[in-house]
Amino acid sequence: MGGLDPGEASRGDLPVKGFLDHKGFELALRIVIGGLFVYSGGVKIMDPLSFADSIETFKLLPPHAINLLAMSLPPFELIMGLLLATGWRKRAAALAISVLAIVFAVALAQGMARGLKVDCGCFGGGAPSPGEIWFSLGRDLLLLATSAWLYLGICRESKAL
Amino acid sequence: MKRSPFWKRHPANDLVFLIACCGAALLVGLALNALRDPALPLVYQGKSERLEESVRRLASHTPPSRIPVLGDEIDLQTFRRFVEDGKGLVLDARPEMIHCLGHVPGARSLARDDFEKSYARLGKKLSNDKDQPLAVYCSDISCEDSRLVQAALVKLGYTQVAVFAGGWAAWTRARLPEEICP
Repeated sequence: MGGLDPGEASRGDLPVKGFLDHKGFELALRIVIGGLFVYSGGVKIMDPLSFADSIETFKLLPPHAINLLAMSLPPFELIMGLLLATGWRKRAAALAISVLAIVFAVALAQGMARGLKVDCGCFGGGAPSPGEIWFSLGRDLLLLATSAWLYLGICRESKAL
Repeated sequence: MKRSPFWKRHPANDLVFLIACCGAALLVGLALNALRDPALPLVYQGKSERLEESVRRLASHTPPSRIPVLGDEIDLQTFRRFVEDGKGLVLDARPEMIHCLGHVPGARSLARDDFEKSYARLGKKLSNDKDQPLAVYCSDISCEDSRLVQAALVKLGYTQVAVFAGGWAAWTRARLPEEICP
């Protein structure tokens, strides 16, 4: 009766943990989230006017800040998406994407709380609808959870080096 | 033992790097905007302000507006008859790309977000007869583009501009025919 060694037993008890810790899974997540940010930034770079209109629906910023944000946020998203997907300075990129996800979630939530017809503008502008806003908020929270998990994983990895 | 790079060991350096990225993104955004035609102004203008500015530029030679006689707003039945009769012009105030994906048969694009260029493209078909009946629509009851375009056309001297408030959503809900760009 040899039995399993303690390490094998614990890995066997938590197969999901082993999967989540897998390097390939982290790489896949980075490519998906990074790709999403590259796409989102690219779409908004092509049409900054619609993005400015979307920002305006949140009623958070003064007119002289709206267009500056509409011009600079899309390139920033694109750069962060590229960094996360390629893995160069991935920890910084994961941090930035987590912070952006928090900012987006707070902006969406305050808009909903104030009863505004908020247009997420996540992938370009469009006519807002209440159902879409709930969907956007859910997607944003999922993005936050994933990018925060990536950031913490990368931090652990950096400390181990 | 080979040591890892400084930034890998000190997360605080990420902040410095991200601040530099913010600056770079701002510069890239400003540079791209400078190449854009027309460039986005530094201070945001609302949809109606932008449209009014376009109308002011276009309306330098137009007579003062008169009260529309077609009616300010039409329902689906009236709009359907209007489309089928073909005696007036149907105008789609949604962005041109969306218009191309599907529109009311015979409708022409007069996009609110690119009013000046769309108006110029329509040319004499629109501007030759300012008393011809016009019906404008956009996405659905909640979109304001058709109203904004109606106001702009009235300012430009068009006398019969009606809005089909139900818009594309009501048209497709009624399973009426659709057309796409060639």
